[in-house]
Amino acid sequence: MTNTYMQLIRGTIVEEEIHLTLEELCQACRASEEHVMAWVTEGVLEPIGDAPQEWRFTGPALRRARLALWLARDLEINPPGVALALDLIDEIAALRAQLQRNGVR
Amino acid sequence: MKFKDYYETFGLPRSATQDEIKRAYRKLARKYHPDVSKDPEAEARFKELGEAYAVLKDPEKRAAYDQMGSQWKSGQDFQPPPDWNAGFEFSGRDFGAGDGVDHSDFFEALFGRQARGTQRAGMHARGEDHHAKVLIDLEDAYRGAQRSISLRVSEVDAQGHIALRERRLDISIPKGIRAGQHLRLAGQGEPGLGEGSAGDLYLEIGFNPHPQFRIDDRDVYLDLPLAPWEAALGCSLAVATPDGSVQLTVPAGTAAGKSLRLKGKGIPGNPPGDLYVVPKVVLPPATSESEKDAYRAMAGAFDFNARDPMKS
Repeated sequence: MTNTYMQLIRGTIVEEEIHLTLEELCQACRASEEHVMAWVTEGVLEPIGDAPQEWRFTGPALRRARLALWLARDLEINPPGVALALDLIDEIAALRAQLQRNGVR
Repeated sequence: MKFKDYYETFGLPRSATQDEIKRAYRKLARKYHPDVSKDPEAEARFKELGEAYAVLKDPEKRAAYDQMGSQWKSGQDFQPPPDWNAGFEFSGRDFGAGDGVDHSDFFEALFGRQARGTQRAGMHARGEDHHAKVLIDLEDAYRGAQRSISLRVSEVDAQGHIALRERRLDISIPKGIRAGQHLRLAGQGEPGLGEGSAGDLYLEIGFNPHPQFRIDDRDVYLDLPLAPWEAALGCSLAVATPDGSVQLTVPAGTAAGKSLRLKGKGIPGNPPGDLYVVPKVVLPPATSESEKDAYRAMAGAFDFNARDPMKS
């Protein structure tokens, strides 16, 4: 293996500085537009804007869309099922955060 | 490079049906998905499962993998035989790539991007976006930091051999970043084909576990052990925060578990998070006679029944 050194790269925080368009979100998580639209309909993703061309997705949508894609593609879960699974995963994450706050590891 | 037995990954015999492979993958993937599992090995296991499934779920790739023979054992030194995939045609641009994760060198050599065959001239496409996870220290989020990360990319050398190259990126971690956020590094993903532009690299940020501090989004929690008299009478203490030491006034009558908030001393940002100091009252053991006398004096001085809340 050889190493290549690069100069210092400055990234942008997706959650704070960037709103992703439908196309960018699809490109970033490799989902089809049909998938993303179905998830928006089910409330898995909540973009700003009315029409799909105007949709802007905030940072958390990136993680949710990648997870949704895995649920849909590998576990063959339909959009309402994806919505339910994501809600439950969010709830578990919130409960774990609460445990952590109280010092239970 | 080491041979990988993808059947072993699923605990299945080579004669397994496509349905059995699918079921085994789903069962294990549900268990080890990093968003679901708390197992520290989950991420690595999940990656292995994804790689094995990418090969075995596809009948063409599975057949090509199978024809290398069953004499190979996991971990054995391995080089792909010349023209090992002759007669198999792999299709689809997403072939093998799965999720832009770094697959093993074994996978890359057999099924990686360059193994997909020569690129047709005049073909243009934007490179794929890649994803990776980076763990930083809490202190890095307070001050900003520079980190070197290594990503593995496969490329073809002059002889047409596939080699894995380590690509080192020096990135700047902005002050105020929080766990679960993503950094987008424009143009640092997969190179484009032809005149297509390069994809982006997304880095998901996580924190290394800290022995003292617990983190919840932008707020930080710290347990502060106190002697009973410090909690009851109040005191002033130097407390180490991720941002340096602060002088903390513990008010008289501080109760265990009732946290003190240091506004704006959490992870910086707009608004910044808060730092919560959670007092934990620690009872000193009474071993010497004078220590026991002190407890006896307390018993005499207080009209206190610890079991009052149990009375109905």
